[in-house]
Amino acid sequence: MLWRAHHLINKRTSFDFLAKRRLALVASTIINILSLVGVFTLGLNFGIDFEGGIAIQVRAKQGDIHLENLRTTTHGLGIGEVSLQEFGDNKSALIRVQRQEGNAQCVAHADQVMKKRAGNGWSVVPGAADTGDVTFTSPSALDSGGWRDAVSTVGLTLQDRQLPRGNVNSAKIEMSHEQRAEWCQQVAIKLVEDAIGGQYELRGTESVGPKIGEELMHSGVIAVLATLGAICIYVWVRFEWQFGVAALIALLHDVISTVGLFVVLHLDFSLTALAAVLTIAGYSINDTVVIFDRVRENMRRYRKMSLIELLNFSINETLARTLMTSGTVFVAVLALVLFGGPVLYSFSVAMLWGVIVGTYSSIWIASACLVYMKLRPEQFRAKAAEDEKEAKA
Amino acid sequence: MLNLPRWQTITIVTVTVLAALLALPNLLPDRVMNVLPGWYQQSRINLGLDLRGGAHFLLEADLRGVMNERLVNLSDSVRAEMRKQQVAFKSVDIDGGKAVVLVLRDEAQRAKALEGIRALDPTLTVAGTGDTIRVAYAEVDLTRKRKEVIDQSIEILRRRVDETGTIEPTIVRQGDDRILLQIPGIKDTTELKRKINQTAKLTFHLVDENVAATGQNLPTSLPPTTFLVPTREGMAALRAANPKAYDDIQAANPRLSPEQICRRYQPQCLPVLKRVVVGGEDLDDAKSTFENQSNGGRPIISFTFNAAGGRAFCAATRANIGKRLAIQLDSEIISAPVVQSAICGGSGIITGQFTTQQTQEQALLLRSGALPATLTIIEERTVGADLGADAIHSGTVAALVGTFFVIVFMLISYGPVFGGFASLAMLVNMLLVFAGMSVLGASLTLPGIAGLVLTVGMSVDSNVLIYERVREERANGRSAFSALAMGYEKALTAVIDSNLTALIAGVLLFGFGAGPIRGFATSLSLGLLTHLFTATIFTRMVLALWVRWRRPTELPL
Repeated sequence: MLWRAHHLINKRTSFDFLAKRRLALVASTIINILSLVGVFTLGLNFGIDFEGGIAIQVRAKQGDIHLENLRTTTHGLGIGEVSLQEFGDNKSALIRVQRQEGNAQCVAHADQVMKKRAGNGWSVVPGAADTGDVTFTSPSALDSGGWRDAVSTVGLTLQDRQLPRGNVNSAKIEMSHEQRAEWCQQVAIKLVEDAIGGQYELRGTESVGPKIGEELMHSGVIAVLATLGAICIYVWVRFEWQFGVAALIALLHDVISTVGLFVVLHLDFSLTALAAVLTIAGYSINDTVVIFDRVRENMRRYRKMSLIELLNFSINETLARTLMTSGTVFVAVLALVLFGGPVLYSFSVAMLWGVIVGTYSSIWIASACLVYMKLRPEQFRAKAAEDEKEAKA
Repeated sequence: MLNLPRWQTITIVTVTVLAALLALPNLLPDRVMNVLPGWYQQSRINLGLDLRGGAHFLLEADLRGVMNERLVNLSDSVRAEMRKQQVAFKSVDIDGGKAVVLVLRDEAQRAKALEGIRALDPTLTVAGTGDTIRVAYAEVDLTRKRKEVIDQSIEILRRRVDETGTIEPTIVRQGDDRILLQIPGIKDTTELKRKINQTAKLTFHLVDENVAATGQNLPTSLPPTTFLVPTREGMAALRAANPKAYDDIQAANPRLSPEQICRRYQPQCLPVLKRVVVGGEDLDDAKSTFENQSNGGRPIISFTFNAAGGRAFCAATRANIGKRLAIQLDSEIISAPVVQSAICGGSGIITGQFTTQQTQEQALLLRSGALPATLTIIEERTVGADLGADAIHSGTVAALVGTFFVIVFMLISYGPVFGGFASLAMLVNMLLVFAGMSVLGASLTLPGIAGLVLTVGMSVDSNVLIYERVREERANGRSAFSALAMGYEKALTAVIDSNLTALIAGVLLFGFGAGPIRGFATSLSLGLLTHLFTATIFTRMVLALWVRWRRPTELPL
């Protein structure tokens, strides 16, 4: 089978791709609108990168995990929304806890953890409601070093001036609401650890504070827009503005429908998912550029062809390589989906989808847009001829 | 395309061989690597924290708090200065964390008040009209202070993390007010977090000159009021001479007292009086500066105390002129300058045969008692080593299977010769990526492996573009030779275009992404860049050599 070359497509095809352009455009528009509607109604399943919150990977110390037990235990903790999923194999799970508010309940949790870890003589109570202050009480007097160690039991890290001076058995720690909210992430981790630590081993924890999540979201949106813009400008400079706009529409289609896929499959939209979206944009444009390149070449060669004929002809000419290049990336990404492990799963599935949708959009969306943009071959030819003349001169 | 200049062939082969050599350490097992020279072992790619396990923290410094505190101090100084200048004022308040507002009783005293403020610090900016004066720090000064706070925090963090004996911690500034701390291989972060916030203890003690006069490093009997403390130089010498002893001291639990260290390991020590003259909590600031030109202009360290510290220091120095005052940080004496005169007024200098670098270090150590700003953990990720090992395993399997799939796909589609060439170019490309990552010192993360797998898929694309074009040219009736040449030439623009557009996405991702995603962007972008080399030059060389060797009339394509 490997000793000779097999042609994926045996002879030159002559499919009338663009005859179906209306159908394709309508179908794609509907899919895109549905994707957007899905994003705004069902919402994306944002990972903790963007939402803030906690993710804990656990593995059962013995036997398989019991998601039901785990769910009952963690839901009873009162730390807000907790979601569970099997992760990789049936011994491991990913526990996701929503971003913690720095409210009084969190202080009550800290009290609980403190009592469990340091003894019943301890107590933690919130200070005045308009501040984030917290008051710790210990069973015996402690110096500032002792206080530092003590509060680290509940994941609180303090600086000298926040610590009490002298030997006292009660310490009021002054904090802003923001600082308390960040600390409460740590409290929630400790609480989960205490609740399930007996049966489960905590293999990795991630906690992203509310502030950083917002920033990542912000820079993510900028990254997507900048990428789309830069690619569009590149195509515009290399070809004509119509090509740039067509490429942009095709890219938007790919990006939006990929985001739609995340909604439908309820995949984690994390930083890696964002990477997938950008890579899909960068990849999808490959096929588009290959076709555009050929369209431009043919415009000069076949001066009598109508635009639709010309586009169809070019797409057919490049069909074999469009499919082949997509095919190689497809099989590589397939390996990632099958063997890449749970962390990369969302990314890989999105990429797999991206390869397919990118190929589709290059043929139907990008090229069809050229038709509606009234790209006038005559004008383009005239300009090309001028360029050639200039080049010769 | 068949005329391949000799120098090009040589360059291509050299680059490929070099890349192979650089990439090789990543593929060899540890057993083989251990017998190879150390510099060669260095060229292994760093594994990211998600693969090797470890902790990643993003800390945010509370700069607003620092600035506020500074304004509180400034308002105290302004109040004191006004009293000194006998300027009557209604109030001195802090306005919105930006300025100190001084309201005078009598507008006529404005000039006098301004003069007083200028005497306080000439760089302060002054605004307001009539009886109101707004005093603020200049923007330049604020920027400098912010930078100083972060730099200082980083230095202190480094010192504390080093004490825990961790290897290769990464501690870098990120943005204006953030510090990224990455510690590979750590299991329990509780201990580390406690350590981070632990304050170094700074105290001033008088040297017991009676004991010191005996000249013995370790006097057998000491008065009950005196104890021995190792000097910084002494500890540095011990570390150099006997690293194991040094590690033992750091790891000792419970911690050894300075005297125990002196007795047990015998570094250079100084006898000092146990009584603390002034504690670090009373030290306001310390900085590296230069003495007056008239005195020689040498680098010195200047420091300021708060009111209580200033009084205690004044009394102690007045009574002990000519004696040494030891500055003890944790369990080391960092310096023991001789008291030249009574130091009153809350500030003093330490002179000696210092270089600028030394004074900077010492000033930093003096300040390093406490972190200058509260650090809040705003992002924390820990990965257990076995989880990292799992990730390495699945990443490796995915990469190998992906490569295998692609090679099989190419062989089926283009036959053993051309499919083989494409696979060869792809493998060379992977070598180049590995070599590039080794040279750049980039870290390989799990998303980075995904980037590599994608590179595998994309880096045969250019061969596909070329081969398909060759098939077309052949179908158009060209001879084998000219079809190859034309196919290669005409496919080139598409090859470059498609690489560049993908590269745009990669570079932007690197710019905006964070953490492991940067690893993805790095490996993908690097793969696309090296691919430009393999796709254009390397493939061409292979094809040319093959044509010259086989002189084909028919292409097995």
